[in-house]
Amino acid sequence: MPVIELQDVSKLYGFGDATTIALDEVSLKIESGEFVAVMGPSGSGKSTLMNLLGLLDHPTHGSYKLGDRFVSRLRPNLRAKARRDTIGFVFQSFNLLPNMTVLENVALPLAYKGMTKTRRLKQAGHVLERVGLSDREYFYPYQLSGGQAQRAAIARALVNNPSIIIADEPTGNLDSAASRVVMEVLSDIHASGSTILMVTHNPELTRYASRVVFMRDGSIVTDEQSAIGELSETVRRRSYFVRHKTVEDDLAGVSALMGAVQDKDTQPKAVKKKRSSKAKSYKAREKRTKAK
Amino acid sequence: MINVNTRMALASIGSARWRSFLTMLGVIIGVLSVVTIVSLGEGVKQQLGAQVKRSGQDLLTVRGGHLATRSNQGKITSVNLLNLFGGNALSDSDLQTIQKVPGLKLVAPFAVVAGVPQADDGTQVEDVTIVATNDKGADALSQDVVYGGFFGADDNNKPVAVIGKRVAERLFRANVPIGRSFELRGQKFIVQGVFQEFDANPLTPGIDYNQAVFVPYEFIKRSTTTPLTPYQILVRPDNKQTPQAAGQAITDTLKQAHGGQADFTVLQAADNIAIANNVLNILTSLVTSIAGISLLVGGIGIMNIMLVAVSERTHEIGIRKSIGATNRQILSQFLTEAVVLSTVGGFLGVLASLAANYFLRLFTNLQPVITWPIMGIAVAVAIAVGTFFGMTPALKAARKDPIEALRRI
Ligand SMILES: Nc1ncnc2c1ncn2[C@@H]1O[C@H](COP(=O)(O)OP(=O)(O)O)[C@@H](O)[C@H]1O
Ligand SMILES: [Mg+2]
Repeated sequence: MPVIELQDVSKLYGFGDATTIALDEVSLKIESGEFVAVMGPSGSGKSTLMNLLGLLDHPTHGSYKLGDRFVSRLRPNLRAKARRDTIGFVFQSFNLLPNMTVLENVALPLAYKGMTKTRRLKQAGHVLERVGLSDREYFYPYQLSGGQAQRAAIARALVNNPSIIIADEPTGNLDSAASRVVMEVLSDIHASGSTILMVTHNPELTRYASRVVFMRDGSIVTDEQSAIGELSETVRRRSYFVRHKTVEDDLAGVSALMGAVQDKDTQPKAVKKKRSSKAKSYKAREKRTKAK
Repeated sequence: MINVNTRMALASIGSARWRSFLTMLGVIIGVLSVVTIVSLGEGVKQQLGAQVKRSGQDLLTVRGGHLATRSNQGKITSVNLLNLFGGNALSDSDLQTIQKVPGLKLVAPFAVVAGVPQADDGTQVEDVTIVATNDKGADALSQDVVYGGFFGADDNNKPVAVIGKRVAERLFRANVPIGRSFELRGQKFIVQGVFQEFDANPLTPGIDYNQAVFVPYEFIKRSTTTPLTPYQILVRPDNKQTPQAAGQAITDTLKQAHGGQADFTVLQAADNIAIANNVLNILTSLVTSIAGISLLVGGIGIMNIMLVAVSERTHEIGIRKSIGATNRQILSQFLTEAVVLSTVGGFLGVLASLAANYFLRLFTNLQPVITWPIMGIAVAVAIAVGTFFGMTPALKAARKDPIEALRRI
């Protein structure tokens, strides 16, 4: 039985002439244990799709079945509980609460479940161990690096044992090294049986996915299985990905690839800084990409 | 969840102490004024109760002026405040009229006489009240004389005096100045007794018997030309009569003597309490309405600060909703914060009124009494204010759309 089943789901913004079709009759089925990477240019509706799947937003049309329940018309109270119990959402900007420790942040969903303080802190501790942050339990979010903050956010998403983890550009604010650590964590979680849905701009990260979905203008344009560890077929075919894999790439990490591919408006600052040393060559590559 | 919310609320109040204090000020002032006035009233009632108990249920007080209106059952329904505190005195002939009423065990006039006593060494004490009364005076007041004795029947025509404790200390600089003398209006008086310290009397403002010199009424009446005008005549009936019957008899006789005019008042022992209640109720309702306005302003302040908090923390609300907080849980978070704010204000108000109570006791004759129910009601009102005025902001927070709330411009 699929974890998620969308049938002709549309999302419109605005009225009349100003109507934007953010999602255009999207149908999507995600089976348990899949690691789905969602790619596509900025504005293609990826975030809109994630928000609908994460029950943060309502579709304008269409039906959404989460597990064995149709949830598109659920009352707010039940939606909140479904968000709490069956979905773990990871944001690009971490969204940790600044006035709580990492441990308390991770334990917060359990508090909303009514779990006692000792139990939830204990459980949160276990999850933090899973993401390798045991030594940061009593830190506040501002004391963490981006990668650590994102791992804490992943721990928070995991703490309720959700049936699916939805991550909207989880590495979008991270440099290459931090991205890699975060991806390894997600990969471990996937390996232990979780279902993961992740938006990314970085083709290289499709290596972690078992399935890659491309979106354009609110529709899914390609949807293909992809062996873990390999780039997906479409990523390879896309002409903007032209080079062979070299030792230098391995060393430079994924940031180089990100620089080559990303749209300007979603270019993370951290990456820009990192790039500066090699700026010339990447700029050149970017130009080549844009030309095509 | 409730105590998580409470802890969070306390933390957020603690992190903005000054702002929170200003927000709570309205509630603090409201609670302070209500608790203080109610405790003052409670104190006066207790003082009067004790006084009535001490001076006995059979004590009748006759005063000049129409002080109170009674229902048919004899209950006091309203009080004439001006007459109560303004001096509408009786006359010496009223005293003689009352003394002729049969069945009275004791009739004691109390009249204020002008004059400044001067001790032999020249010491003058100017703010001493000279009270002329007869040999029944101490009995009427139910007050013991600690040193020496009160004047007896044969002293009524002699220049003797019984003095209050403060007078002893200030005029003679002694605790037991028995046998010493002072001069008053050209006449030497010999001190033959010192009263035990009087409890504060909330109903005779301006007269502190501890600062008074008691002299025989008859003697003063003879030695001066100005007629004596008793501000009160205290009466006790004998055992064969009820105070009510005696009171009625006095009223009838006096009214007749006044040509049918009831321009005097005969008060039963319990009437003092009724009058005090009446006066206090007026005061209480006045202060309560001020306190009500203060609480209203305080409530609006809380509402305002909570609305600010809700919009400042929109992103936080979005995060909390995205990880599964229900609308109700968000509501209770912000409602708790408002209630904690107002409750802390309520507690601070109670603390402030305890301090006010302490200083009132220290510096005035008043003996305010703060009881547990008064404090409980004050805090309950504070909680109600927080709940009422915190509801709108909390609902606003709860109804926020998660996606809208998470969006950062
Ligand atoms: N709240 C909104 N109001 C109006 N238009 C919106 C809103 N949110 C998203 N859109 C539009 O919907 C489209 C899809 O946006 P989004 O899902 O954020 O794209 P992506 O995440 O793929 O970059 C865009 O054209 C965007 O302008
Ligand atoms: Mg997006």
